Order: sequence, then C-alpha cells, then structure tokens
Amino acid sequence: MPSLHPVSFWILAGLAAALGLTPLIFLALDKRLSPALRSDLWTRYKSWLVLVPLMTVPLVLGRLPAIIAVALLGTVCYREFARATGLFRYRLVSGLVALGGLFITFAIADHWYGFFVALPSLTVTAIIVFALFADQPKGYIQRVALGVLAFLLFGVSLGHFSYFANDRLGPPLQLAIVLCVEMNDIFAYCTGKLFGRRKLAPNTSPNKTIGGALGALVLTTALFATLAHFIFRGTVLDQPVHLLTLGVLLSLTGQWGDLVMSSIKRDLGLKDMGTTIPGHGGMLDRFDSLIFVGPALFHYIGYFLGVGLDQPMRVFSGH
Amino acid sequence: MDDWQYKPAGDLGMKPVEGLRSLRREVGLFGTITQAAWRTAVRLYLRGYHRLTIVGREHLPQKPPFVMIGNHSSHLDALILAAALPWRLRQAAFPIAAGDVFFETPTATLFATMMLNALPMWRKRCGSHAMQELRERLIGEPAIYILFPEGTRSRDGQMGRFKPGIGMIVAGSEVPIVPCHLAGAHGAFPPGSSLPRPVRLSLRIGAPLVFSGLGNDRTGWQQIAAQLEAAVLDLCNAAP
Repeated sequence: MPSLHPVSFWILAGLAAALGLTPLIFLALDKRLSPALRSDLWTRYKSWLVLVPLMTVPLVLGRLPAIIAVALLGTVCYREFARATGLFRYRLVSGLVALGGLFITFAIADHWYGFFVALPSLTVTAIIVFALFADQPKGYIQRVALGVLAFLLFGVSLGHFSYFANDRLGPPLQLAIVLCVEMNDIFAYCTGKLFGRRKLAPNTSPNKTIGGALGALVLTTALFATLAHFIFRGTVLDQPVHLLTLGVLLSLTGQWGDLVMSSIKRDLGLKDMGTTIPGHGGMLDRFDSLIFVGPALFHYIGYFLGVGLDQPMRVFSGH
Repeated sequence: MDDWQYKPAGDLGMKPVEGLRSLRREVGLFGTITQAAWRTAVRLYLRGYHRLTIVGREHLPQKPPFVMIGNHSSHLDALILAAALPWRLRQAAFPIAAGDVFFETPTATLFATMMLNALPMWRKRCGSHAMQELRERLIGEPAIYILFPEGTRSRDGQMGRFKPGIGMIVAGSEVPIVPCHLAGAHGAFPPGSSLPRPVRLSLRIGAPLVFSGLGNDRTGWQQIAAQLEAAVLDLCNAAP
C-alpha cells in the first residue's frame, strides 16, 4: 500500500468524523423531526455508512483497487441504464458495451494511453457494425444509439476519472473529486433552500434553482481549489487561475451530469434508475454527477501537467 | 416512422429478491451468461451420464409462444424438456417451478433465476391473477413455458391426474401445447433420493395441440387438462 498523501488523510479523517457525528446530530434533533423524516434520514445515513467506505477506501489502497472499484461502479450504473431503457434485451449490443468497458478497464490498468483513446472509436464502430448482423432494421437506430450513449457515459467518461489512478497524485485527486462532487450536490440543495427562487430547468428537474446552482458553484469551487492547492503544490497548476478553473470545471460538469440523468429519467418516465441504495434510489442516481467531471479535469490537468507521465507504462502488455 | 419505444425491465424498481421472484422478472447479460453455462453443463450431463435420447423433435414449433408439458416424476424433468429445445429458442424458455421449493430462500431463488430461468408457481396461494400474468407474458413476450400439469412429482412413478390450471394459461388462444412423455426419470432420480443414478432416459415429443376453440372457463380448462393427459398417455403407450 502506498503511503497516504496528507490530503487523502484529511479527507478520510473528515469523512469519518462527519459519519461519526451525524447520529449525534440526529439524536439532538430527534424530538423536532416527524417520524417519516426521521426514518428517511436514518435510511440515507445507513446507506452513506456503506457507500462512503466503498467509494473512498479502494481509491487509497493502490492503483488496481481504485481502477477495479471504478469499473464496478460503471458496471452497476450501466446495468441500471440498460434495464431502464430496455437496451438489456439486445444481448449483442449490450455485450459489446460490456466488452468495450472491459477493454477500457484493461487499457487503464495497463496504463496504455494509446489503446485508451483508440477504444471509443473502435467500440462505437463495433456496436454500429455488429448490430447489423441481427438483420433486424426495426429499432436499429435506437439500439445502436443507446449502446453508444451508454458506452460513452459509463465506459469512456467514467474511464477518464479512473485513469487518474495512474498518476502519482491519483489517490488524493480522486478522493477530492468524489468528495467535491458529492458536496456540490449538497451545497446546491442547501443554498437552493436558502436563496433559490427562480427555477433552473423546470421541465428537466423541477426542484433545482438558479440560486442553488450558483451557490454550489461558489462553494464547490472554493473547496476544490483549496484541496487542489495542497495536491498540486509545487507544480505549474498551483496558481489561483488554474485552481479556480479546476473548481469551476468540477462544479459545472458535476451539475450537468446531474441534469443529464434527470433528463434521461424524465424521458423514460422514471423517478429513480434503480433500487440499489436504500433511500437514494439507484447507484446512477447517486453518482450521475461524477460522470462528466473525469474528462474535463483529465484533459485540463493533462494539458498543463500530464497525467501519470512519470509512472511505468504498458504495465501488462509492454515488453 | 415510429417513435422510440423504451420498455424498462419488467421487474424494474422492485427490491432485489422480490424482483427475482416476480413473474415479470427479466435477466440481463450476466444472467444470460450463467444460464447458457448451466444449459451447456446440463446438456453434457444428460447426454453423458443418462444417455438421453429424444424422439419427435420435429413436432416442436419453430418459434415462441408455445408450452411444453409432460409427466412429472423427478427434478430432472424440466432440465430434460429444456434440453430438447434448439439453442436459438432456449433463451425464451421458462420452466414453471414450485415457489415453495425453488423460491423459498434467497439462495434457492438465485439458483432458480440465474441458472434455470424458472418462474414461480405458489401452489398454496396461486390465484387467478398469477395465472393471468403468466398467460399475458407467454403471449406478449412471446415465451416458451415448460410445466407439469400434475402439479407435483409422482411418488410412485405412475402419472397422476392433470390439474386444470394449464387451461387458464392457454384456453381460447392460438398457443400450441406440445405434449411430452419422459421415461426413466423416476428410476434415475425419484423424489426423496439425494443423487441421480446413471439410468437411461428417453423423451418422446408429440404433435402440438391448440385450444383456440375452447372457452376460457372452468369447463374449457377441465377439457384441456383431460385432452393433454390423454395425449401424454398415448405417447407413453406408443413407446416401444
């Protein structure tokens, strides 16, 4: 196990403290909560108690545990998406999406960037072409399009987040991203309750307000910029303009991911994508905001600093 | 031009075990793989260990929906009937299994769904609602059901009376029912035994029957049960 980066330590300690203190706050408020709200809060809390270790511990255990954990997350999200849209009935397309995801995971674990960037076009081509062989033109565009969309969301986009595991700064960066993406949701909820008046996108997600979106943008940017300052200390990215840009990118792409999934759910006529996590709905309902953060931060950091350039490459396939 | 049609999984939104027990359950990629592996293993086992022979395969309809029925004397029966189906049809085949045996515990449920692709029949409380749901899925999907109208395994190897429940699933529809007769299964793996013996098995498949002319009522159901029972007995007597 690699030694723990100070930022990783502080994030883990902070999360442990928060999870430890929450029951005390619930108990203090106990008398003022209605029974329904109380049981809802406890259900959500118990889910967090399982989710937080599952999503944070693998990230600090090392490169492969982190990559495998994100691949499993992508698999669960894809399963929910496929079952909600009906894509799962088309075994060939569904199998190709899964195979593409498996290859993406291999490319990341191998630290083979060339294969990683080749896979989107190869897999998309494979889905479009192999779907022909069923010789059923009825519904062809829908099957293929759903397969391509699913692969780009849960294979390619989440894969970018996973690829950070190949960097020396991977663990603290991934932890900070997960923390800030979840805080982004919470900030939006809280500031929305306080200052939100005008609806952000009433047809897509009736509860979101412009106040909430702006509040989250300010607070999350501040939080992520602070964490990024300690992560990127001594590098070219440790300048206010870069740190703030990273924070803004994270907050915006996080909120867009949330809205994208709201839009998909609205179109399907569903409230939740699944029942994986009691109190939260499906895994996809909880981690939708993470999907687009990966590519945005990956390419920004990649442009100025590079990702994992000083680490061994083609670990398994090299010779 | 048609609009896009999204059809979520039938058991979407149900709790994990509840979803697996549902008559609307649909498996995805993972279940497809485990079921295919299970079917391959069963096929090899039946061919190798029991020297299974099948006569009358040509009577099987080319496409779903249809129902395969037979005499019931062992847990091997549903596996044998499923093994008679060609590969392209097997994914559509659902054995209808006793809920109180195959869906009682979560582990059994997992096996019944991810390996057998079974749908539960709760014998003590199977209302007409469940039968109607089975009927709708059979025709709507369309699917293949494998079921045993005796409702239980014969304890002495002799075929029992057919129950009219099968009629509720097919009466008044165009769905063909394929009668099958199985010989040797009681000797190989009777109720109560723990391991199958290497007894030869033979399956005889008869010509399908259609009951579109019969009413979906008690008289119709009983007539269907009687006709199917006679058809399976005929196959039994026709055996050399």
